[in-house]
Amino acid sequence: MFTRRSLIGGSIVGGLTWPWLRASAETASAGVTDSEIILGMSAAFSGPSRGLGIELYRGASAYFEHVNRAGGISGRRIALKLYDDGYQPDASVNNTMKLMLEDQVFLLFGYVGTPTVTRVLPILKKFQDEDVFLFFPFTGAQPQRQPPYGEFAFNLRASYAQETAGLVENFVQVGRRRIGVFYQADAYGRSGWAGVRAALARHGERIAGEATYRRGTQFTATMRGQVELLQAAEPDAVICIGAYAACAAFARDAVDLGLRVPIANLSFVGSESMLGLLSEGRDPADADRYTSLLVNSQVVPSYHDTSIPAVREYREFMQLYNPDVPAELVTEQYMPFDYSFVSLEGFLNAKIMVEILRRLGDEPARGNLERAVMTLRDFELGISERVTFAEDRRQGLQQVYYTVVDDGRFVTLGDWEERFS
Amino acid sequence: MQVIKVRKLFQRTLFGVFALFGFIGISTSFLLIDTVNSYLTEEYETNSLGIAQTIADSSVDILLNRDLSTLQSLIDQFIEIQGISYVYIRDETGEFLAHTFVPGIPEEILNADPTDISTVERQLPGMGEFVEVSRPILAGVAGAVHVGMDSGMIALQVQRAIGRQVYLISVVFVLGVVAAIWLVNLAAKPIGDVLTYAVALARGEEQEAESMEGVLGRKDEAGQLARLFAHFSRGHVSASSSDGAG
Repeated sequence: MFTRRSLIGGSIVGGLTWPWLRASAETASAGVTDSEIILGMSAAFSGPSRGLGIELYRGASAYFEHVNRAGGISGRRIALKLYDDGYQPDASVNNTMKLMLEDQVFLLFGYVGTPTVTRVLPILKKFQDEDVFLFFPFTGAQPQRQPPYGEFAFNLRASYAQETAGLVENFVQVGRRRIGVFYQADAYGRSGWAGVRAALARHGERIAGEATYRRGTQFTATMRGQVELLQAAEPDAVICIGAYAACAAFARDAVDLGLRVPIANLSFVGSESMLGLLSEGRDPADADRYTSLLVNSQVVPSYHDTSIPAVREYREFMQLYNPDVPAELVTEQYMPFDYSFVSLEGFLNAKIMVEILRRLGDEPARGNLERAVMTLRDFELGISERVTFAEDRRQGLQQVYYTVVDDGRFVTLGDWEERFS
Repeated sequence: MQVIKVRKLFQRTLFGVFALFGFIGISTSFLLIDTVNSYLTEEYETNSLGIAQTIADSSVDILLNRDLSTLQSLIDQFIEIQGISYVYIRDETGEFLAHTFVPGIPEEILNADPTDISTVERQLPGMGEFVEVSRPILAGVAGAVHVGMDSGMIALQVQRAIGRQVYLISVVFVLGVVAAIWLVNLAAKPIGDVLTYAVALARGEEQEAESMEGVLGRKDEAGQLARLFAHFSRGHVSASSSDGAG
């Protein structure tokens, strides 16, 4: 089922303009009207991974709402055309065709997932003359970072290769060299698996054992088979490349079956949703049994750290606007989080997106998008890392953060040695 | 008067019809099973080899770019084809670069010779029986693609095809038997009439015989036979009368 809705309105005058962009600007670009700049988004708003699409959207909406209320960009509101793909590749392809051919959006923004994005990239190549770019997908996979499709996408977050390399590096440093992998049996899982494999190879190691699950697996499913496969490999740690429902089910069954090793998850997992599943209905001590060995990599800083300007801004806007997903897209019950790593990522994505749109000047044109992105050098996003794009650097941020569960919430991990040695 | 039926002739003919159709049905079914099984297995194997070749051809650039997520995405699309149960790619060292197994790679496949690209039949615990075909990537120097077909699916297709044929043969059999009964009755009735007529004449039951005289008007062999009986009967009666007078 596809549902859509234009959302955010407002207008703003001014902002930075670049003379060369203004000089070469075309008028009446697709996706731009006198009152709106329309961005297209296909993401999971239903199914077991709906929390990812919803939170990413909420974070982005908070910032767009702020900009629109302040007047928009050169008098134009930023509008999001939303479609639900349920984290399914075919639906994502159909949504993209609809966004490009029927809705004629200005650009694609905030897609969720590797199997979905991987299938969409060839469409962008097919329509490359139309200059439609994909901005800041919620995936750290390689296909949109390297040839032949890298030129059609811009990434903000660090890659899965960076996340897995960081996890492996830290595990090896605390003496945990036998690393098993639990992964989703698709392009996303394979991307993370390849990252772990490459990182281990740098230390002369191989993946100790592996187990897979099917995309869309619910928390209620048993992971006994997967846990037993990994137990047989006697790993020192397990790195999970999956979505929160399946990864939480795996963590639960690992503890129940006696696999007591650190269980790492990538940023895509949706840490708060995972924690919610593992803690729901348990007293704190019991919940701690299931969560104390979790270590999740993140591509944005902790939203608890209010010393970071962008985090303060994010928390303020989330409180102020508290964005809701359009009612038409809500087909299953979901309780949104006040704050989450995913919505913070959506917020930062939107912040950079707005900056790029501003740099397009008064007459935004698709043909100028790439050059506008390339003007971002050492841009102050409000976190510890500055954003830079270049021809050979189509990923704005590189930093990976590590978090563990303390007192029922994910906090920044200070000392790997102390926690996991 | 009791009408006499030609039971033995009817039974034998009907038995012959049963035997003939039975033989045709059974022999056709056996031939069909063999033909359909061979044909479908060959077709599945050919299709699977085509799929394996397509993946092998498409994999070269992807492998050279070391983009395993795209490789996985590629094989995931083929697994949606009916009858294809699994796909996996091993590199030249035997390492599994991408596969579709859940929750893990079966032991038999883990232990299989990575250089063997012949068609093999596999029985995988918990999964079923499969026919696995393979194609080399870059003449084998970059590994091989292996595609597993569900033997159960082929068997199901064979059963369906045979089921349809057996259904058709059964309908023809029933129609044939009904037609045979009707034809035998058609042929047997005049003979039964002649027999009844002859018995009546032999018993001297002239009234009954007269009621059967319709059979004397028939122009076929039954009519001729009846007239012959009548002729002999009259001669017999005439002779008896002469004997009595002398």
